[in-house]
Amino acid sequence: MTEYFIRRLLQSILVLFLISLVAFGLIHAAPGGPTQMMMAPGVSPETAKIQAHNLGLDKPVPTQYVIWLTNMLKGDLGHTFKNNLPVGEVLWPTVGNTIKLMAFAWFIALLIAIPWGIYNSTKVYGISDQTANFVSYIGFAMPAFWFGIILQELFSLKLDWLPLSDMYDMDKQGNFGNLLYHLILPCSVLVLGFLASYSKYARSSMLEVLEQDYIRTARAKGVPERKVIFRHALRNALIPIITIIGLDLPILVGGATLTESVFNWPGMGRLFVEMARSREYSVLMAITLITAVVVVAGNFIADILYKIVDPRVKLGSKGGKSA
Amino acid sequence: MSDMNIETAPNVQASEHTEPAIAPLPPSKKPPGPWMTVVKKFFRNPYAVTGLIVLLFFVVISVLANVITPYDPAKIDLMNANLKPGTGDHLLGTDELGRDIFSRLLHSGQISLTVGFSVAAISVIIGTLVGAISGFFGGWIDTIFMRLIDVMNSIPTLFLNILVMAIFGTKIHYMIMILAFTSWMGVARLVRGTYLQLREMQYVEAARAIGVSRTGIIFRHLLRNASFPIIVNATLMVGGAILSESGLSYLGLGIQAPATSWGLMLSNSQEFMLIDPLQAIYPGVCILAVVLAVNFIGDGIRDAMDPRQKKKISRRRLDKWRKNYSKSGI
Repeated sequence: MTEYFIRRLLQSILVLFLISLVAFGLIHAAPGGPTQMMMAPGVSPETAKIQAHNLGLDKPVPTQYVIWLTNMLKGDLGHTFKNNLPVGEVLWPTVGNTIKLMAFAWFIALLIAIPWGIYNSTKVYGISDQTANFVSYIGFAMPAFWFGIILQELFSLKLDWLPLSDMYDMDKQGNFGNLLYHLILPCSVLVLGFLASYSKYARSSMLEVLEQDYIRTARAKGVPERKVIFRHALRNALIPIITIIGLDLPILVGGATLTESVFNWPGMGRLFVEMARSREYSVLMAITLITAVVVVAGNFIADILYKIVDPRVKLGSKGGKSA
Repeated sequence: MSDMNIETAPNVQASEHTEPAIAPLPPSKKPPGPWMTVVKKFFRNPYAVTGLIVLLFFVVISVLANVITPYDPAKIDLMNANLKPGTGDHLLGTDELGRDIFSRLLHSGQISLTVGFSVAAISVIIGTLVGAISGFFGGWIDTIFMRLIDVMNSIPTLFLNILVMAIFGTKIHYMIMILAFTSWMGVARLVRGTYLQLREMQYVEAARAIGVSRTGIIFRHLLRNASFPIIVNATLMVGGAILSESGLSYLGLGIQAPATSWGLMLSNSQEFMLIDPLQAIYPGVCILAVVLAVNFIGDGIRDAMDPRQKKKISRRRLDKWRKNYSKSGI
């Protein structure tokens, strides 16, 4: 176990290192590099040179990379080009806002999806099962932001029940009730997306377990059906569900970008889009790296948990998750 | 072989049915190959056929966009802005700049479908190549590619797309390339897995023994046997690519005016929601319909190619029969 843990940890660190190379490399591969991107069009070459020197952009690229990475490791995310604000000051509040939105939506989605999937696995091809199938087909094929726009038109403009966008009303900043009120629409969009996949996972995972011999044995022994489902089947079915959900973390971090843009939610995804438009590279690199850390850590924890929970998984098997 | 026999059996019975005479059975034709079986099964699936019809419909009307509508999708005509649907020749009315919405929808279809199919094609080629090499050779080559896939999977795809579009500019061929470069990993994993299994098969050994080159084995002998899952994945990828394109265009980092796409139309419509809420409906319905159609086709192909699928259907029928029998009291 320890050996596996260490190997997996080293692997994760290697992946993170490669990601930092990709993020940094991409930005320096831009035509003209970051120097040209951040200069106003009318700046004279001399001024540009001084500016580049001040920002350390005239050093060789590998040196710049090392400086940037050591700063990142120390927790210094750099400064924005435009107002010279510390990146952290811009970034951290939006991370909190994204987490509020995502955690809420995710929690509700799991609360609905897992019981629904379990129920459907006991009544295959029933009305509820067909509905879930329909929901997941629609959820996969519908652009989430379009669903958001439709909800806005219906519930905010036409019926005037719910707020159109933003996180709080202007005069109610920080009010929790007001936050919930603003959460309803964006959350509905996200929940539909999650439901589409999670209810299917739960169902298929349960179905697989229900075909096992020990379930038949339990039934043959006369264990009541409720107990078979909840004690014998569910415990085993939850393992793959947990893993898949753990592997879904990238969606959780990056998946709200469109929803945030539709509902003008001041989150990380929307910040990323805005910063990409104005080419604030330090912010973009910071966000990319932070999301990558979250994702890699999530995968790592999911893998380790999987090994702990499921003793059948062979320890030290090569390649981790094989296709 | 046994699979094919089962397939041909109903045909034999049917011919017996129509000709009750003891006429000798016609000399049996060559049994249908695996591809014919798949095609037959596919066309027996009503969802898949509906999907195919819808997709063909969209392809035809997008290709014939110039013939169907007389209006230039980018032509601004402020005198006729915000016309209601059905005014004059404007089937769905005009937008805030007087551009014909119906014409814009059709021309958007061209772009969205082009992006969808090109992305799927390119990423399948990349994924197959990477997966094949990785799975066949194994060892350090495999390790390198697998770590690369880990890296790609650890950055949210949308972020990567936004980053590249913002850095390199928003041209359609850039968009196709970047979408392809961020979606090949699934296919690569799949192909790698299949190759890992297949390379130990005896026919590979035999091919090697008679001196077939490595490239020959990888691209002729193994690729054919791995082609079913690749095709399924390619189909399902078309829908994903169309969705990604619409998302990027909606964010203003994809297709740019005067060109048009469904995503771009949606981002436009949001600004003029109060004036004309219907404008947001059309492009979304088009995306939904096309992606749904493609996904149905993909699922149809998967079911048709999966030999286990037959069992599933028969089990359902079995339940039905059981019910009927229990009713009739036998």
